[in-house]
Amino acid sequence: MASTQHVLLSPAELAYLHASLSLTPPIRPDGRTRTQFRPLVAETGILPGANGSARICFADGTEAIVGVKAEVERTQSRHDDETVYVEGAANNGGDGDAETKEDSRTGDSSWAEMTVEIPGLRDDDSGTAFLAAMLSEALLADGEFARRLWINRRFHWKLYLDIILISPPLSYPLPLLSLTTHLALLSTRLPRLQSEGDEDPFFDDDWAAAPHLFPRPTTTTPTHRPPITLLVMAVGDSIIFDPSKEELAVADVALAVSVSGDRSEPGEGGAGRKLRLLSIRTIDPPSRLTPPGVANAANSAYGAGNGAPQKMAEARTAEAEAAAEEGVWRAPRGGAKRAVLGALVQKVLEAGGVVDEVLDALEGVDLG
Amino acid sequence: MASLKRSLDSDPFAANISSKVYVRSTKRGKVQKIVREVYLRQDIPCSSKLCQSCLRSAPTDAAGRSTPFVLSEAPAGTSVYQQGHYLVPDTNAFLTAMDLFEQSAAFYDVVVLQVVLEELRNRSLPLYNRLINLTKSEDKRFYVFFNEFRLETHVARQEGESVNDRNDRAVRKAVAWYAQHLARTGAEKVPAVVMLTNDRDNLRKAKLEDIPACSLADYVRQLKDGDKLLDMIPETQDQDVVKERRPGDLLYPEYFSMSKMMTGVKGGLLHQGTFNVSPYNYLEGSIRVPAFPKALLILGRENINRAIDGDLVVVEVLPKDQWKEPSTQVIEEDAITKNENPDAGENEALVSERERKALQEEVRRTHGKTTEGHAQPTAKVVGVIKRNWRQYVGHIDQSSVSQSAQQGRKQDTVFVIPMDRKIPKIRLRTRQVAELVGKRILVTIDAWDRGSRHPSGHFVRSLGELETKAAETEALLLEYDVQYRPFPKTVLDCLPKEGHDWKVPQSLDDPGWRDREDLRGLLICSIDPIGCQDIDDALHSRPLPNGNVEVGVHIADVSHFVRPNNAMDNEASIRGTTVYLVDKRIDMLPMLLGTDLCSLKPHVERYAFSVIWEMSPDADVVNVRFTKSVIKSREAFSYEQAQLRVDDGSQQDDLTKSIRALLGLSKKLKQKRLDAGALSLSSPEVKVQMESETSDPIDVKTKELLDTMSLVEEFMLLANTSVARKIHEAFPQTAILRRHGAPPKTNFDELADQLRVKRGLDLSVESSRALADSLDACVDPSEPFFNTLVRIMATRCMMAAEYFCSGTQAYPEFRHYGLASEIYTHFTSPIRRYADLAAHRQLAAAIGYETVDPSVRSRGRLEAVCKNINVRHRNAQLAGRASIAYYVGQALRGKATEEDGFVMKIFSNGFVVLVPRFGIESLIRLRDLAEPEPQAEFDAETYTLETSGSRAVKVELFQKVRVHVTDQKDETTGKRGVKMELVKVC
Repeated sequence: MASTQHVLLSPAELAYLHASLSLTPPIRPDGRTRTQFRPLVAETGILPGANGSARICFADGTEAIVGVKAEVERTQSRHDDETVYVEGAANNGGDGDAETKEDSRTGDSSWAEMTVEIPGLRDDDSGTAFLAAMLSEALLADGEFARRLWINRRFHWKLYLDIILISPPLSYPLPLLSLTTHLALLSTRLPRLQSEGDEDPFFDDDWAAAPHLFPRPTTTTPTHRPPITLLVMAVGDSIIFDPSKEELAVADVALAVSVSGDRSEPGEGGAGRKLRLLSIRTIDPPSRLTPPGVANAANSAYGAGNGAPQKMAEARTAEAEAAAEEGVWRAPRGGAKRAVLGALVQKVLEAGGVVDEVLDALEGVDLG
Repeated sequence: MASLKRSLDSDPFAANISSKVYVRSTKRGKVQKIVREVYLRQDIPCSSKLCQSCLRSAPTDAAGRSTPFVLSEAPAGTSVYQQGHYLVPDTNAFLTAMDLFEQSAAFYDVVVLQVVLEELRNRSLPLYNRLINLTKSEDKRFYVFFNEFRLETHVARQEGESVNDRNDRAVRKAVAWYAQHLARTGAEKVPAVVMLTNDRDNLRKAKLEDIPACSLADYVRQLKDGDKLLDMIPETQDQDVVKERRPGDLLYPEYFSMSKMMTGVKGGLLHQGTFNVSPYNYLEGSIRVPAFPKALLILGRENINRAIDGDLVVVEVLPKDQWKEPSTQVIEEDAITKNENPDAGENEALVSERERKALQEEVRRTHGKTTEGHAQPTAKVVGVIKRNWRQYVGHIDQSSVSQSAQQGRKQDTVFVIPMDRKIPKIRLRTRQVAELVGKRILVTIDAWDRGSRHPSGHFVRSLGELETKAAETEALLLEYDVQYRPFPKTVLDCLPKEGHDWKVPQSLDDPGWRDREDLRGLLICSIDPIGCQDIDDALHSRPLPNGNVEVGVHIADVSHFVRPNNAMDNEASIRGTTVYLVDKRIDMLPMLLGTDLCSLKPHVERYAFSVIWEMSPDADVVNVRFTKSVIKSREAFSYEQAQLRVDDGSQQDDLTKSIRALLGLSKKLKQKRLDAGALSLSSPEVKVQMESETSDPIDVKTKELLDTMSLVEEFMLLANTSVARKIHEAFPQTAILRRHGAPPKTNFDELADQLRVKRGLDLSVESSRALADSLDACVDPSEPFFNTLVRIMATRCMMAAEYFCSGTQAYPEFRHYGLASEIYTHFTSPIRRYADLAAHRQLAAAIGYETVDPSVRSRGRLEAVCKNINVRHRNAQLAGRASIAYYVGQALRGKATEEDGFVMKIFSNGFVVLVPRFGIESLIRLRDLAEPEPQAEFDAETYTLETSGSRAVKVELFQKVRVHVTDQKDETTGKRGVKMELVKVC
């Protein structure tokens, strides 16, 4: 999806916004600091029939629901694989040491299937597909997630993530969808396995005994968390998190950065969290498609260039190519500067920074 | 950034909605999370007759009636709860002591909680069904209270609470609510509501919450005569008391986990099947699995691993070096385990010395011969899918009773020897040893844990003294699972209101006459055994002008009286068949129908279902038609009477002539059948003659065969075949038919080998025709019985005929091997067989007499019916035979005779002799021949057993022997049976 919604701002307004966001510290239209997120409402377990679900509602009115369903699926075995599994199971059952077991778990990226639905868009729309690709790419980036779906050598869980934006796409929904997915995965539980080894899986029928896909943080073991994808943009030199629709409309660069935050040791705040960068995607900001402003000097309404109306257009374009005039909106051109990109990523990965804040907040949601 | 979770409090109806979440695994391996919403209500009544408020709010049906309340207003009291009490048992109480609740002495006014009922259903379906039957019985006053749906008693599972704990809490909450609720009724004497549980933790919590609760044992002690009931509380191993056994103490290998077994079975590495114990050797079992044509052997206690005959088990094939031959030795449990002490819990080894010795014998024999090819694959049991335990009839092993137990009332452990030899001894703890010794008793198996050599069980009830007629008959019925309780009222309500006065309506306009043909003018008669009361069939014949003959078979129109799906129909489909014992008949349908309204009695008009053929004089069927009719039988003959009448040349009336015509046709029909390859098989049949007054057996006679019997048989076969064709044509998918599979050739291997070795005869089994011919050729000019003997042995190699639903088999599989008929069903005895009744309904629908009832079209239902009646049919036969065997034993009581017998089977330490005169067979062991036991040389190749030493005889298979027959009480089974002693070899 082009990250465009119709931004009903005039070039002059765009220019004003751009200017105020470029200040240090930037002045955001809603008064937030650079790193501050908009308030949101989150809850989990809203779909009782699903293995995990979550709903998040942003203050701008965008709202998303994610449902996670799991099914047992037989793992395709290779043709040359003639292993007789029962024998193995018999051996494993007795003195299977944990280490070798851990190693034998392998995952496959096809084990998680993600669909995104945005109202008003077809589900094969390139934008929707791109969103889904970005979200699943982050999820499957390190292979750890798929490994969690491993049951035994013959079976695995197949996870279906259904992501639905239930409000009109008022702003670029990527962060919303990512956070909701994160929360839904945190609340996902899979029935407890009772069989051992490579037997046909057999599960406990007690739902209350079903363990979480991502186990609760404990004091001893490091916990793994699903990734989140944040939208960060730069205007001039200021780096702004969680841009609103209007802010995005004047962005020089917009990045979708996927991060995972595994806790190596427990503790309040971001202290024990190890942030890992999983993927970066540049987002085509809508600012590129905004109409340019016209300087008073070039504006015929102010009496400029009355004599040569034909030449006017060319002249104006040429002028626009030239150096920016203060106060006149000009859509950003060209790629992002390397230094800016670097700064953006660094800002995201900053310990105790925005990511920590977001993850802490999400951890605070009652997972029921 | 802030987050919050929506609270449910904002929902005004939240209190009335709850949900239940669980995981469901489907057969195909899908795993689903299931959420059920539960809508709580407040109008579920407590059903106590004391309560007025519930009566007002109780829900009503469409007619405005509410279900009548169940629990008595003045329930019985106990020594502790003298004001009266209602019982609320938990699941375990029902699981462990269902027999107690079925007692008529106590256990009235019981509240069965929904949570308990559901848990019971998940744990044990048979127990659940028994409980459901209890709740239906009016006098026991069992009430199912839907506590999960009532707002006040619904309990939501708490964080970290186990399912069991939650259920226990639900039970306690329901008990507490009942107590409160009843207190509010303002009755003078408010009954106590008592929770029954054996769970210590639950009892403790109940005490904390001030809820009246008892353990089963405590409660029973409060009752009058409670001591007697105490035995029915099974031996529960109190968890705190259970001794920690060291792994070395466990006698049996552990079972595989269910999922491991399923994976193995699916992968073809393990095999699933029903475990059968050899009737001659209790340490040898066999299991038929789909993967192999022949059964797998399971040898020895450890390999049998606690499986009991009939259990559905999973086995693993043993490595080839452990393959063995099936034993040729008789090993009886009582002989080998005689000296075991039931109390010994500690130092018992899995395989006792004597058992080991018996096995060594085996091994020596197997190794002694170089017939490697004879070794059969063996297997061991690795797990049990489903126990098929039922209640077993048996008696206490006298030798296991200690002296002290004879007097005191202290609890003692004894062995019970089941009547069924295939069932191992059962260890029983009882306080009433002195009373139970010498009685037939009913016991159930509770458990068989790894640490115990024998299964443990508990006493259910006593049937009476051994060898009394009542006790033995009831024992038989219980052993063969025959439903012998009187018909319940709901069934009797389905009978015609007129009772015995019911008559065929006079007016032809009556709806009963619709589409019925009036055949009252025909000369119809019935021919049955002497004293037959339930006359199913009658016949007629008359010459037609064109030279052909019209033959009619008229069958009692039972389907007119038994409408599909009413209580009577359901009861009949459960009973499946009428069971004939020597002195008793257990009816499938109530007497009124069976012996009166349906029975085609002479001189009375009756509804019938007629099959009418036009036959050429050569007994070829020209055409056939089926019709509902009204007939009037002219005479009810016995076979003997009919035979006399036919043979008496002076009788020239039309009726006799028509019987003669039928007889002529039947002979032609029979010849045709035999030409087509029908087998005439044989089983030793005898008839017990009873003294008419006391009905004590006085003599045993072999059954005589008369032409008239074959007359009736032929026409019944013809009718069955004609009907089978018709209903299969009308209902290709759902016709109820009967088939008799061709036996696998391997079944005859042994018999063919025996005949070849001993007599040089050849048994060819390619087709039923070939078999029939070669059986005919098996004659010994000097011994007329030899042919019958071979036929009897051949019969035992056959498959059992079975009912089936036509959609489940391909047409070539419909074949009835024994009758050499392409298609066959049962139509002619609807009074005593349910299959015939179903065939009647299908035929009625096929000829357009009535609309098709859904029950005769639903394949699933018909398959279930077939499955049930196949089992019932088999059990009825077995029960009938066992009854004859019992009476033969009684008839011989105190008499000693010498009879001719034939050797049917030879073991290395004994042989089986059949005495045709009494239709009995019995084992003669080597040690019975002489004292001390003679040495014996057994040659399995030539089926010869030659003894030397204290007595020298040479016994061969098929040999005629002279035996001394006396009666003897069998120590093992407590049955009076026949004891044979070899007098001489002829």
